[in-house]
Amino acid sequence: MRETTVIKLLKFSGIVFLLIFCLTPFVWMLLVSLSKHPDFLLSQTPLELTLNNYIQILTSSSVHLLTYLRNSIIISLTAAFFSTFLASLSAYAITRLTFPGRVVIPVVLLAVSMFPQISIVGYLFKLMTWLGWINTYYALIFPYITLGLPLALWIMLSYFSRLSKELDKAALIDGANRFQILQKIILPISLPGAFSTFMLIFIYSFNEFLFALMLTIDYKARTIPVGIALFEGLHGQIPWGYIMAGAVVATIPMVLLITFFQKYIIQGLTEGAIKG
Amino acid sequence: MQLNKIEFNKKEIRDAYLFNAPLILIALIFIFLPVIGTLITSFFRDVTFLPGKFIGLENYKRLIGDSHFWQSVEFTLIFVIVSVSLELFFGVIFALLLNETIPGRGFMRVAILIPWAIPVAISARVWQLIYNYDFGVFNYFVLKLGISNQPVSWLGTTAGAFFSIVISDVWKTTPFMTIIILAGLSTISNDLYKQAMIDGTNFLQRFFRITLPLLKPVLVVALLFRTIDAIRIFDLVYVLTGGGPGGSTTPLSLYAYDYLVSGDFGYGSAASVIVFLLAALLAILYIKFGQFKEVVK
Repeated sequence: MRETTVIKLLKFSGIVFLLIFCLTPFVWMLLVSLSKHPDFLLSQTPLELTLNNYIQILTSSSVHLLTYLRNSIIISLTAAFFSTFLASLSAYAITRLTFPGRVVIPVVLLAVSMFPQISIVGYLFKLMTWLGWINTYYALIFPYITLGLPLALWIMLSYFSRLSKELDKAALIDGANRFQILQKIILPISLPGAFSTFMLIFIYSFNEFLFALMLTIDYKARTIPVGIALFEGLHGQIPWGYIMAGAVVATIPMVLLITFFQKYIIQGLTEGAIKG
Repeated sequence: MQLNKIEFNKKEIRDAYLFNAPLILIALIFIFLPVIGTLITSFFRDVTFLPGKFIGLENYKRLIGDSHFWQSVEFTLIFVIVSVSLELFFGVIFALLLNETIPGRGFMRVAILIPWAIPVAISARVWQLIYNYDFGVFNYFVLKLGISNQPVSWLGTTAGAFFSIVISDVWKTTPFMTIIILAGLSTISNDLYKQAMIDGTNFLQRFFRITLPLLKPVLVVALLFRTIDAIRIFDLVYVLTGGGPGGSTTPLSLYAYDYLVSGDFGYGSAASVIVFLLAALLAILYIKFGQFKEVVK
């Protein structure tokens, strides 16, 4: 009897702590973004609510916030799509066909996923300069596809390996080729897995910072994390209200994704980390 | 029949390579080429406006002789140990909580994923404001609760900056730990707990005798996964402290980055190779333990 009361109390305080731990920074971000003065907490200025910060950053032509957001979304969507697609092709061959290199490819790719980005970015900068891709979407799309491949391959492998090979045999007898089998049978059945993969790589690409910092120069290709990180005021004082409003704008798409696709994201994360 | 079979296999092999070609090609160009390029560059004097020159291990000798490099190594290692341990600790607690049937579990799972999904560079700016000397949330509590009668310089002192980075990193990555550990918890059969309860064990005994031992493989994998990730920390520090004060919070990645962007490519590459080697060492461990788990299964 006493033990259950203690456990209930522990659980309750745990939940309160968990919520405070996760959400306080967001409450603070929202509050500052909506207030006239960022220093309302520790000075004589009272908290005055205003939408001015949002109006300023969304309408000012020198801020480019929405351009950064658009760049981020286009680059991340493209990278997530191709990463998932290329990994599916490879995973199909690895789970269905016998060929030399079957085991080596996923293991080598798993090792690749642990390469620190700093050991890639220096030379990548040279490569992109040589290709003339600095400050274009390509400079980020191709590296992001590559960064996503190991995770994508391992998740797709775990989905494809659960499907019976009888499916393929039947389709082969009906005269379908391998690509058609993947496209018309295997991928549609594994759609939840492909969607998890797509979501995760979208989020990872949206989050990426070092490549975006080094391979872009301005609003033509700069992504929103870099845009907000480098956002400074013109007059020496840090415009906290603008920055927090920008952070809120960048956070909204992510919060929506998680709210609607929580199940897929969690599935992908656990497949990728534990099986991989 | 025999002939037919060989024919079939040949076609299968051709198909297999066709299916794998795009993945292999992209990985070769955008990962392997740059990594090898970085390794080669590290043996060269590669400075803007000067002709490149092979100098052997000179860059590495310079690294070993630089006290700032050692400061970076020290910071990186201490940071990894402190933050990953805290993440593991909180991850286990949160996972145990979310594994229970509690009201609002769905909402909590969303709440816990948000810090993980927001770009670090963006949440780091929010933390920067939270640690603000004049009007940040931390100093508000420090003053109101009477912990000190003066505001604390969170980002301006070595210890303050270190703990600020650790707190923000723990906030950002504990959700990942929680999700992984939660998946591990869900594989433990409820019957074990029921039996243990009949045997009259208490909550702590059940945790240490059942949960922890069965969770060990998942914990090892999560731990190594996070460690490899933490060793390459860059964006959080870049935004939050810029490596300061006095270079005391410069992780190895930032140390290398500073040289790469200032035009000393050879030296920056050598520093990058060190980060690579550290991660590789851990990666070998990770793959070993990962397979170990598969075999057990």
